[in-house]
Amino acid sequence: MLSTLQKSLKAGQAVRGLHKSAVGVLKRPTPEDTVTSSFGKFISEIKPQHLSPVVLHRSKRMVLDSIGVGLIGSTTEVFQLVLQHCQHMYAPDNISFVYGRRGTKLSPTLASFVNGVATHSMDFDDTWHPATHPSGAVLPAVLALSDMIPAHSKPSGLDFLLAFNVGVEIQGRLMRFSNEAHNIPKRFHPPSVVGTMGSAAACARLLSLDPSQCSHALSIAASLAGAPMANAATQSKPLHIGNASRLGLEAALLASRGLEASPLVLDSVEGVAGFSAFYEDYVPQPLESPSDNGHVFLLEEQDMGFKRFPAHLGMHWVVDAAASVHEVLVGVDAGKVSPSQVQDILLRVPKSKYINRPFPESEHEARHSFQFNACSALLDGEVTVQSFSEAAMNRPELLALLSRVRLEHPHDNPANFNLMYGEVQVTLAGGDILKGRCDTFYGHWRNPLTNESLRKKFRYNAGAVLPSERVEQLIEVVEDLDRHENCRVLLSQLQ
Amino acid sequence: MLRKGITESFGAAIHALGSSQLTDGVINRSKRMMLDTLGVGLLGTRTAVFNKALKYSQSFSADQRSSVWGRSNVTLPPHFAAFVNGIAVHSMDFDDTWHPATHPSGAVLPALLALAETMPSRPTGLDLLLAFNVGIEVQGRLMRFSREAYNIPERFHPPSVVGVMGSAAASAKLLGLSPAQCRHALAIAASSAGAPLANAATQTKPLHIGNAARRGLEAAQLAQIGLEGNQAVLDMCSGFGVYYKDYSPSAMAHSSSSAFKWILEEQDVAFKRIPAHLAMHWVVDASLAARRKLQSKEGSFDVSRISRVTLHVPPSKYINCPFPASEHQARHSFQFNAGSALLDDKVTVASYHPAQINRSALKELLSKVEVRTPEDNRPNFDHMYCEVEIETAQGLSCTARCNTFYGHWRKPLSQEDLLDKFQMNASSVLCTEGVEGLMHVVGNIEKITDCSALYSFLRHTSSCSEEELCDYAIRTS
Repeated sequence: MLSTLQKSLKAGQAVRGLHKSAVGVLKRPTPEDTVTSSFGKFISEIKPQHLSPVVLHRSKRMVLDSIGVGLIGSTTEVFQLVLQHCQHMYAPDNISFVYGRRGTKLSPTLASFVNGVATHSMDFDDTWHPATHPSGAVLPAVLALSDMIPAHSKPSGLDFLLAFNVGVEIQGRLMRFSNEAHNIPKRFHPPSVVGTMGSAAACARLLSLDPSQCSHALSIAASLAGAPMANAATQSKPLHIGNASRLGLEAALLASRGLEASPLVLDSVEGVAGFSAFYEDYVPQPLESPSDNGHVFLLEEQDMGFKRFPAHLGMHWVVDAAASVHEVLVGVDAGKVSPSQVQDILLRVPKSKYINRPFPESEHEARHSFQFNACSALLDGEVTVQSFSEAAMNRPELLALLSRVRLEHPHDNPANFNLMYGEVQVTLAGGDILKGRCDTFYGHWRNPLTNESLRKKFRYNAGAVLPSERVEQLIEVVEDLDRHENCRVLLSQLQ
Repeated sequence: MLRKGITESFGAAIHALGSSQLTDGVINRSKRMMLDTLGVGLLGTRTAVFNKALKYSQSFSADQRSSVWGRSNVTLPPHFAAFVNGIAVHSMDFDDTWHPATHPSGAVLPALLALAETMPSRPTGLDLLLAFNVGIEVQGRLMRFSREAYNIPERFHPPSVVGVMGSAAASAKLLGLSPAQCRHALAIAASSAGAPLANAATQTKPLHIGNAARRGLEAAQLAQIGLEGNQAVLDMCSGFGVYYKDYSPSAMAHSSSSAFKWILEEQDVAFKRIPAHLAMHWVVDASLAARRKLQSKEGSFDVSRISRVTLHVPPSKYINCPFPASEHQARHSFQFNAGSALLDDKVTVASYHPAQINRSALKELLSKVEVRTPEDNRPNFDHMYCEVEIETAQGLSCTARCNTFYGHWRKPLSQEDLLDKFQMNASSVLCTEGVEGLMHVVGNIEKITDCSALYSFLRHTSSCSEEELCDYAIRTS
């Protein structure tokens, strides 16, 4: 692994020949030359008018989905646990709201922590390409910070959306610095790497920090980034998003107080790793300054994936494939699907250790199991929030099917959310073979959820904890957010 | 995924290690570490970075409060006390260093003290000492899981990797968590580890230690209320292994078995004589020796006669800084430390003051300094050396070499010199009563049942020193 890393660094330096001399240790680069400063400048200088209609539209969908997912996430055990922790450690500071807890307040960083945990608690939140969960790391921090800003200087709805989009944009840009980031992760959980940076950027934007402070916010955040994949599929995974949100906010707040850090954290410096520490290959690119021609946000070119059920994105392919087989089975033998019909289940999926679990033992593991999701979909024709309840998980029919599952990893099925597919092949008792295949599940960025489907998901989620009038008001407020003079209209619905 | 029982063995050991396992050697060495850390931390409360972190932390309130070292009238929520006190400890790069390389005490002691203050049943001095050693031991064990850890780092700053794990282990020990909870504390802490080296030599570096302390404490408290993580986090390459390019973990021997030995027993720490990166200590000792040689050859020492200074040092980019622009860079600069030693015939705390850094005489000398990295000079604190060669315009040349600086684990500071360092540091902030009180309490900590004196001494400031602190911070920020 060492030699690969060194090779890549050398290649990176050659490619960036233009900047090579600037980045040498003996000659210090002028601030204008560095990747890091270009990021600081961008965050500081981007304006609301740079948000195109497409970006506004897509990001509002993200805001809505994220709030809904956070609200339903406030019913989970991990959320209760961290909330209890924060309230025990710190007296209520009556500043920032907490999802699903009317009247409960926490200090801004802790509110962003628990709300971030809520958002990722059921793996129900949005997913992008390259892979990360962008909104959960950014929205809770921007909301908490907005709560913190005094009434007379609250950001407008458009400022709010701008900060949110900056947070998402920075994440997208950073992930494009490495090939490693384009595939399903193996080492660091991406939200813990880029999410922290995105949160710092968004908060720096909302606080109107100057370019230098924005750069320092990113750099301080880098020292707070990075959590290993091993904690995915455990109860601690949601904390990766919670911490990304809170620590990014903290980094921005510290930068606003004058704390300084490395001015080269995003740049590639041989022998001294900055943000590059989290990747095996790393080739950073500067961000152009937003000009009168406007800035093309990545969200314009690459839409977001929203989940239809609370499980790892990879599950959505096998579920859609398995559901189509279920349709046929039910057609053949009207009514329920029974294990006795099934002799063998073969799943053709990409190779990824942490989502290959033949017999998951917890809801967290079940959300990260090709086998579990395929079998649930085979049995029920769909996977829903309820599929991960203890009762549903322990059904004898389900366990019977699980024992008949095999996995194959075809060479043409890469561990990449833009290229993978899911195939389910069921051999029936009589010897007949049924096949289902999904290349693009409904909700993927190539086949986005309709506004109606997105709202249906939101109504279900938010309705778990809010009365229906509030639910409808939230939908309306987010839809009109860019036209509101004051983001209080959104905040007041969530208090 | 093969479970090799490594994380399990750590959880069991953290839970089961008892004070009866503490040997005299370990007690002795760890008490020296505690004292040095307190002194260095107290001095560090005068820095700009500490004051920024304190201001930030004061925006949080809580029912539970813990002491801020060197402040008689400020308390913070325990996590933030651990945070700012940890920052103070590392703020001037004056804290202890171990082999393999990390700064073990700063990540652990602030967390333990903050936690102990809030526990309903106050821990005894021996409880504290035991928990402290558990935190140190876990760090030492983890670093031995990779060859990469043995060398001067290039990617992640070690305290941010192993420090948070040590803090979690120590806090879990003090809280009396079960073996399973101890495992989960380690797993949760692993998700808070890892800061890149690029922030070394900047104002943010001290936060690596501050954050290690606070987030390790947080991990233990979350584990206490039942949060779970990956129970095999140390066993897996996708667990703690992500921070290293080569990773080969092994289990901890059972604490009650004869196979168990504290690492601190076999491998002492280094205490610093100057507030700078450890490698600077070789450079300073060699430079002073070369200066003496030149002085005895020529009868006197005249810096203007120097035409070239060549430093033979190990290769390490982040401590190779020809013209440092800040105190943080100056503490991480071979060239600066050699130059200061040659110019002033000493290097002290005052050498890193902005006025000192910006002296034209020093800058002129720095322009004559060259750095070479010989093949046989490995970037490793156990093997490196520094050779300084001074050439004069008259053609004279003097060379001196330092293999082991005074304060290194091979040549430890005498007890007298360690106490002198503590007194100098602590008295910058505390009154005499506080300084001597701390020396007494820490010196006898294994016999002390009630540690509340420790906290009150830490806050025994002299009446005018707190105003001075603010002034100093404002002037230097």
